[in-house]
Amino acid sequence: MEYRTTGFNGYAVQYSPFVNSSIAVGAAANFGLVGNGRLYFFDLTAQGIVAQKWYNTQDAIYDIAYSEQNANQLIAGCGDGTVKLFDTKVPDYPIMEWKEHNREVYAVAWNLVSKDTFVSSSWDGTIKLYSPERPQALLTLPTHSCTYSTHFSPHSPSIISSVTSDSHLRVFDLRTPASASNHLVHLIPIHGHAPQQGPSYNPLRPRHPPSEALTHDWNKYRDTTVATAGVDTIIRTFDIRHHKHGATAHLEGHKYAVRRIAWSPHAPDMLLSASYDMTCRVWSDRMATPNITPGSHAPSQGAELGRMDVHTEFVTGVDWCLFGGQGWCASTAWDERLLVWDARSVMNQR
Amino acid sequence: MTERLSSILKHLTPGSSGLSSITSKNADDVVITLAIRTPLARGFKGGFKDTQLDYLVYSLLSKVIEKSRIDPQMVEDICCGNVNDGKAAYLVRAAALAAGFPNTTAASTVNRFCSSGLKATQDIANQIASGSIDIGVALGAEMMSAGGDRLANAFHPDVLKNQEAADCMQPMGQTSENVGHDFNISREMQDRYAAESFQRAERAQKAGWFDDEIVPIATEVKDPKTGEVKKVVLTKDEGPRYGTTFESLSKIRPAFPDFGDKSTGGNSSQVTDGAAAVLLMRRSRAMELGQPILAKYVGATITGLAPRIMGIGPSIAIPKLLSKFNLSIDDIDVIELNEAFASMAVYCKDTLKIPHEKMNIRGGAIALGHPLGATGTRQIVTGLSECRRQKKKILLTSMCIGTGQGMAGLFVNEQL
Repeated sequence: MEYRTTGFNGYAVQYSPFVNSSIAVGAAANFGLVGNGRLYFFDLTAQGIVAQKWYNTQDAIYDIAYSEQNANQLIAGCGDGTVKLFDTKVPDYPIMEWKEHNREVYAVAWNLVSKDTFVSSSWDGTIKLYSPERPQALLTLPTHSCTYSTHFSPHSPSIISSVTSDSHLRVFDLRTPASASNHLVHLIPIHGHAPQQGPSYNPLRPRHPPSEALTHDWNKYRDTTVATAGVDTIIRTFDIRHHKHGATAHLEGHKYAVRRIAWSPHAPDMLLSASYDMTCRVWSDRMATPNITPGSHAPSQGAELGRMDVHTEFVTGVDWCLFGGQGWCASTAWDERLLVWDARSVMNQR
Repeated sequence: MTERLSSILKHLTPGSSGLSSITSKNADDVVITLAIRTPLARGFKGGFKDTQLDYLVYSLLSKVIEKSRIDPQMVEDICCGNVNDGKAAYLVRAAALAAGFPNTTAASTVNRFCSSGLKATQDIANQIASGSIDIGVALGAEMMSAGGDRLANAFHPDVLKNQEAADCMQPMGQTSENVGHDFNISREMQDRYAAESFQRAERAQKAGWFDDEIVPIATEVKDPKTGEVKKVVLTKDEGPRYGTTFESLSKIRPAFPDFGDKSTGGNSSQVTDGAAAVLLMRRSRAMELGQPILAKYVGATITGLAPRIMGIGPSIAIPKLLSKFNLSIDDIDVIELNEAFASMAVYCKDTLKIPHEKMNIRGGAIALGHPLGATGTRQIVTGLSECRRQKKKILLTSMCIGTGQGMAGLFVNEQL
């Protein structure tokens, strides 16, 4: 199924957590470089994708997140540093707005467990925590680097993660005292730790230089597994408890930067990615049957299960459908298209 | 909008925007947390003329411990660049122990002539980057007043059969005249360049720009006439001659009449005693220890070329280093290009099209002096101080090397 968001290039897509057939897209004019943004609410009907409502914003929308506590509400992160809360019952304008970031907001995410707070992350090097009921942010977590992506852990109401331009995955735990480390509990270099002399020392093992990390997601079944991806095209999975020797698995194959990834809500080892190489790919990190040489700390290689290359521009957003058939997903790209498709159909080809 | 556009472009071709990749801050970067030097004193006549090399190194290393407040036990290796003293390795080891480093801190020396100070920095930085050590000190020190820089014996006749090997015996002044002749760098161009160097050093010294680089060193000087030994404390560079003009330099006789008539004592680097040191560690370590991060060491590289025109070394080493990082001269803010002679300084500046405003802003070796083994580290100390003064970021250092080589180093100032 396809919908053309004519005049606006898609940046983010999400299925509603409440209504199986509702889907929202955040988009921006002129590829998000300059101009307005637009938020679309769609229904998936027997006649195809039907736009129900849309809202224009002053600046580009880079990410959206449905409210987990109110079926009509959604937040959008915008290029002017604002985070806007929309209610589909109120036309034209957001019902609330927070103007706290100094630069573009690249990611927004809702608390999946306690459902009463949400976060935003920005080019200004901070993550902010908000309640929909309070006009100011509750907390600011510094990262000091352009923060492209932030999430709450789906397994805990107090754990927030982010990936940044400085090639690090940060995990914060709000239950820790706010001392000098600002709730930071893990600082994981995605490109690998510095070499340590010792039994595993191997200066010739391929090492990747640090590169900007653009996206990440928590595995929905394995509560310490996080996947990250970005400019060096490699999707890496990490166990946040055991990251001393680097990533647990590498999923390699994309030709250009990976802009968005999403673990499947239905399978513990399946992941969907969106890339500047204009493809969406379905992967398995093969953790059910890991191919690990005992004693080796090299990451195992995951497998690409299928590829969807219908988009004709950078693919920027993907999301899995939570209900119904367990392969349905949606993707949005700079080609002004929202595509709704079944991941299983591309998997059979491999 | 242009920032958003370049952000997206960087996602696509990350290697192409060299500046953003070298200025990024990562936990395993090698960083400099202290950069200091002694005053540069005139060889044979100046404040260090009676100082021994081990005392000079001992004094500077004591200051390194004092200024950085680092626990000396944490420093694992010290590498010192030195050219003239064949026994320097003994002296540096002993000086380090006397300065307060425990016997668990190792020490070595390195000699690649005028680049020795930069080679020492590269040695320590590479050891840190590969995980061999965590914290090290790189320094360069030279007592030219003690002599020892001439080749005692000619090479073996079989070695001399190779013309380029034979050319390695040429004194540096001869190579300068070769450069001046081969590349048409006139006496006038050289004197004008040299006058500018002196004037810049005078301006910098009067304005106090060197104050955050120099640590005072106490030593003893013997009066040549009376034999009386006096205690002194050196605080200022002795090289700059105030009021130097193009006209005053034009009157000076050529220094190497056997080889040419363009290089003089006024447009060549001075014979000087001095030392400079930097403290290096990984960024994550510096943050753990609360050490101030002055700069990031990005990299260095070496090139070789014809020994008879060794002066053109930087014109080859600099493009080689910049291409490794996808940078151009335009990306560099401050350049320290060693003025071994005005002939090569003018040649390199013009060949590389370096705007003179970016190069040797505080004067160079012509005005300040060239203590051979120390210069490589001295340039880093001065260059970073100048970056801080101008609130600029990218520092490039380079020097020609006797026997036909060139070296260049790249640093990012982080104290803006």
